[in-house]
Amino acid sequence: MLRFVGKRLWNGTLTLAALVTLTFFVMRLAPGGPFSRNRKISPEVQANIEAAFHLDEPIWMQFGRFVWGVLRFDLGPSTRFRDYSVNDLIASGLPYSLTIGFWAILVAALVGIALGIVGALRRNGLTDYVAGTVGVIGIAIPIFVIGPVLQVIFALKLGWVPVGGWNEGMRSVILPILVLALPNIAYISRLTRTSMIETLRENYVRTARAKGIGGRRVLLRHTLKGALLPVVAYLGPATASIITGSVLIETVFALPGVGRHFVDAALNRDYPLVMGITLLYGGLLILFNIGTDVLRAWMDPRLRNAQ
Amino acid sequence: MKMKGLGLLLASAALAVGLGTAAMADDTLDRGMGSEWSTLDPQVVFDGATGWILMDAYEGLVNFGPGGGIIPGAAESWEASEDGKTYTFHLREGLKWSNGDPLVAQDYVNTVFRTLDPATISEKGYYFYSTVKIKGAEAIANGETTDIATLGVTAPDDRTVVIEMETPGPHILYLMGAFQMSPLHKPSLEANGPAGFGDPAKVVSNGAYVIKEVVPQSHILLEKNPNYWDAANVSIPFVKYYVTEDVSTEFKRFQAGELDVTYDIPVNQIEVVKETIPDQVFISPSTEVTFYSFNLQVPALQDINVRTALAYAINREVLQEKIVKAGAVPSYAFAGGFDPDYQGPQMPGADLTQAEREAKAKELMAAAGYGPDNPLKLTIVTTVAEDRVRLAQGVALMWKQVLGVQAEVKPMERKAWLDEFYAGGWDVFADGLIGDFAGPETFLAYMRPSTDPGYHWVKPEYDAAMDVAATKPDKESRDAELAKAEKILLDDFLFAPIAIEAARSLVSTKVKGWEPSGAGYYNSQFLKLE
Repeated sequence: MLRFVGKRLWNGTLTLAALVTLTFFVMRLAPGGPFSRNRKISPEVQANIEAAFHLDEPIWMQFGRFVWGVLRFDLGPSTRFRDYSVNDLIASGLPYSLTIGFWAILVAALVGIALGIVGALRRNGLTDYVAGTVGVIGIAIPIFVIGPVLQVIFALKLGWVPVGGWNEGMRSVILPILVLALPNIAYISRLTRTSMIETLRENYVRTARAKGIGGRRVLLRHTLKGALLPVVAYLGPATASIITGSVLIETVFALPGVGRHFVDAALNRDYPLVMGITLLYGGLLILFNIGTDVLRAWMDPRLRNAQ
Repeated sequence: MKMKGLGLLLASAALAVGLGTAAMADDTLDRGMGSEWSTLDPQVVFDGATGWILMDAYEGLVNFGPGGGIIPGAAESWEASEDGKTYTFHLREGLKWSNGDPLVAQDYVNTVFRTLDPATISEKGYYFYSTVKIKGAEAIANGETTDIATLGVTAPDDRTVVIEMETPGPHILYLMGAFQMSPLHKPSLEANGPAGFGDPAKVVSNGAYVIKEVVPQSHILLEKNPNYWDAANVSIPFVKYYVTEDVSTEFKRFQAGELDVTYDIPVNQIEVVKETIPDQVFISPSTEVTFYSFNLQVPALQDINVRTALAYAINREVLQEKIVKAGAVPSYAFAGGFDPDYQGPQMPGADLTQAEREAKAKELMAAAGYGPDNPLKLTIVTTVAEDRVRLAQGVALMWKQVLGVQAEVKPMERKAWLDEFYAGGWDVFADGLIGDFAGPETFLAYMRPSTDPGYHWVKPEYDAAMDVAATKPDKESRDAELAKAEKILLDDFLFAPIAIEAARSLVSTKVKGWEPSGAGYYNSQFLKLE
């Protein structure tokens, strides 16, 4: 097992290095720079700006500087937000994104799995159809549509929650958590249902039944563990993408998370911030994938032995 | 069972709602500010909405009153020398910083010096050596000297600031009130570095408000400054500026009462709000102009007849009222329309009807050798913003319908668009300029070939006219000379004027004293909450 994890970590590190290297150089190919402007400024100031952010150095040297910074956990200064370093910006935004992401994934997993199990057990019943329809809607309607609709209903018409911002504690983020969870609830419930139905047909479940073990026990002890394998496989990357913040959610609900930086930084050619966010996203994604693999290996001995 | 799961979720949501009813404070003015501040360093800040925060937190030598007129600020009076080159400001007695330190004239001198000093890496130095030509400013900006004694801004005593310029500059007062002239508390800077300006625990300011709380991507909270000289007349105890990047979310937050003043109005809602809440809609011309520049490096566009035809074929009223519909004002000029005192010229043909202009445009195009068999092909480079693309498509359509010109619209991200201008890979550039203040001066100065070589425009007469204007110490004769320069500019059709963009805000009926401001400043200290 330890060897298995070690190998995965090593591969993950290589992937991350490749991702970051590629991003660094591809980003520089985009036209425009962090200090493109429509006014001429004094050459002295121009030179100082370039020197301050090391833009005057050859690109390989800038890359070396970046790598050296990463090794020291220093992602450098942001070119757009002059009062903050990239470390500051991530440290300030990540807790918000993590909080929303944590609750969203928790709600999605609990509700999704519950809906999936019930759907599998009472297949083609009315409730199954209703859940199925809701599921399709949850996946099909994009966040930027469902978010504003919920804002109008729950914030404007009913006045239960604020429209946006994070100024009233957790009450501020009920809607974003719901909206973020919704497509995942849909996906997880469908996944659970399908996989549950398949597992219920497996020989080992039938064997257990034949041995006279009661319905509930078969369900919990034998079926669930097998049925949740694909769900766990989905949850890993989903968690990584959810907890690092959703650009759309954070924009629609005006939340101070780290997700919004992802697009903004690229548009503003804030090179250090783009690199910082890429590293964060890439790192978390890889880490959660590894975590998922480990969890699945633990749940399914066949996978473990195959490695 | 499934429904139960959902029901449980809703119930817990309702519970949380019940528990978390935080009191909405009525003593706070909630203002939208659009994008996040780039920095709170007053000598570096360049973005307009952050300027509002600084205008609340700092006070220049003069101030902008309700409606944007110039009123006394930290200086209770000032006078200009006969030749208009020297301005002397007299500070009020007993001025204090928010921490109680005495505020002295040297604090203003230090601001100008720090803005110019290349080590500050500020892009605003040109205010002091180009917008107005303060003695010694350019040498400091170019790194030729670091000696503050060479600067034409001095403090002969603690209550006097003297500014000496190389040429008369009556418009200097606009700069003395703007946030560019926020005084500098040097001990704080020396102790905390520039990051201290954004740290509520460390920042020291002199305005009607002090910075109380800073949450990146979320908001900045200001609290009334008891040490402000006019604190007795500051009515609102707290002002909160919210980052409101998404304009439709901002609109809903306003509807829900979370915001008292918005940064913008969604373009698709303008008609609706004008109908439903007309008393809360504030749309007024800003100091931003839109114009379509022609590339003089492109042979076809070197012919002034072609440029004239293109400028004539644009139906500016239809463009704004039927196509873009964002509240901008159709414009036939460049530097006029903001400052009611300035009687500037309009482009040739502005007195004709649109039908007459179009007929003339067809003639000119035909004379230049273009027609159905030989259509002119152009690219229009614009930014990707939705209303900008729509504008460009509208212009392209008009050129096609009237002149048979095949214009291709190329939207670009803002940063790429900025670089594309100097790269010159465009025929027509969807151009724009935001004036530093509501007068013709900055617009016209910007078009001097020496200021912006990107236009490849060579016109010694224009520079000469601007040089003459620069010698005039009083606004009236100066404006008359500036108008002559603007006429040279417009006559040459270096660009087709399009519109004056609008400042759009929704202002709650709770807020009293909000007036459209030509200067673009709406200081919270003059507002009241009911």
